[in-house]
Amino acid sequence: MSGTKTFSMPLGPVHVALEEPVYFNLTVEGEIVRKTHLTSGHVHRGMEALAMRRNIFQNATLVERVCSLCSNSHSFTYAMVVENALCMHIPERARYLRVIAEETKRIASHLFNTAIQAHIIGFHSLFMHVMEVRELMQDMKETVYGNRMNIAANCVGGAKQDINLKKQEYILKQLELIEPQIREIQDIYANDPMVHTRTYGLGLLPVDDAIALGVVGPVARGSGITDDCRKDSPYAAYGDLDFNVITETGCCAWSRVQVRLRECYESLSLIRQCIDRMPEGDIRAPLGKLTVNSAVARTEAPRGEVFYFIRTNGTDVPERLKWRVPSYMNWEALSVMMKDCNVADVALITNSIDPCVSCTER
Amino acid sequence: MQIQRTGDAALVAELGTFATQQENATWQADDMYGNMTYWFRLDTPALLYPAAVALKAKGARLTMVSACRRDTVGTSGRYISYHFALKGIVYTLRVTLTDTEDSTPSITPIFANADWHEREMIELYGIHVTGQPNDNRLFLDEKLDAGLLEGAVPLSVMMNGACTTDLWERVLNGREDGEEKK
Repeated sequence: MSGTKTFSMPLGPVHVALEEPVYFNLTVEGEIVRKTHLTSGHVHRGMEALAMRRNIFQNATLVERVCSLCSNSHSFTYAMVVENALCMHIPERARYLRVIAEETKRIASHLFNTAIQAHIIGFHSLFMHVMEVRELMQDMKETVYGNRMNIAANCVGGAKQDINLKKQEYILKQLELIEPQIREIQDIYANDPMVHTRTYGLGLLPVDDAIALGVVGPVARGSGITDDCRKDSPYAAYGDLDFNVITETGCCAWSRVQVRLRECYESLSLIRQCIDRMPEGDIRAPLGKLTVNSAVARTEAPRGEVFYFIRTNGTDVPERLKWRVPSYMNWEALSVMMKDCNVADVALITNSIDPCVSCTER
Repeated sequence: MQIQRTGDAALVAELGTFATQQENATWQADDMYGNMTYWFRLDTPALLYPAAVALKAKGARLTMVSACRRDTVGTSGRYISYHFALKGIVYTLRVTLTDTEDSTPSITPIFANADWHEREMIELYGIHVTGQPNDNRLFLDEKLDAGLLEGAVPLSVMMNGACTTDLWERVLNGREDGEEKK
């Protein structure tokens, strides 16, 4: 028999890995994926256009709704970019409060992605267990901030709400409860034969490709790239706190999950350090003067670098507000990761970049 | 004590050479944490390519491209900002599109991750990007015209059509622009 026939296989737009729409057009040869073409744009909401019709305070509420899992990273980076444009300095206590909120969200986000991986593998008892552990963080967010997802912790000029001693004690107690459970989960994902067999060496992204494609977050760090905005250009209280940038060198789905789970330990440590070192004082600074100016800001969200650009024109409505989410940089890496993989692995590889469609399409 | 993180002096000088003809063509600013950002307004869009080559040679990473809608920029011209990160420092190159130079060169051959940004500019803002190697649609369906959102009339303007002149001015301006193009 001469030659092998390839054919086109549509996948999506719904339920490829998450319940968000993205459409793959796969060129397959038997069970093997030879080429991946991706089409997005099914849930474009025009949020950047909306942002240019709202004032800088209203936009804080709008951008928090770009995404649910990294909602805090959007309000955080947005507040920073406005503060940069208005040449503002926020109070020291607010810098620590911002880190507490961000790291709390990071743990919850990483556990969610980890759980979904178990779900795709078909290891449903593990999926349920990780989601149950994640509930500790959800409870914590609800108790401290009053909400499970959009916690509205940031505002332009600082933090929206303080965390009193009683709540600090409660947070520390929750961290005590969750830490041993995350250690147990990490051990399962590192060594369990079923998880290891399905994920180790799957969805390879060699370091050269990772650099060329400019991937960010755990996708980059899973390929050995030591890139983390919290270290590279410290913001909030990160410059005063001790933590490690977690990397793995396996370049595969297993490595990316290990980066996320090991980062949870760093987040737990960061929250404890913040509670220990947070000074007393104001939590908000007065608004600076609105002028004609341009500014940028970037933070390390759970999925990687979030980047914001603002141009102000002297009014309280921005002339331009643009943001780029980490998933936007990571999607293209799928064409490398899926090269010559099995069709059955497409969902698992897709999940390994922790994709967010609503972020990407804004 | 706060540490100020500054950029690569040689790179800043080199990028400055692409932005010498205009007033206030380069500037820098730091945030409250001491992280410096550098801004360069390039003389012409054609200079984007060699400036991007200089950034690539130093190991920079493209982080974002910000295009803007024509109706939001007033008389300042339609600009595109290209943001790059190198060792924690952000460098921004800004090109301005004019009637005579209404296209920008593709930098996808230099930075592979510029592909999505440029296709987004083409599809949503109708900006001409010369040499873009990927002509597949990213967001919009093939049946829709490129730059569709550029011509969209917001619902709020539409609903106020009876009591303001804004809607009709937009419609007339759009028609005049269309006639000029013909």
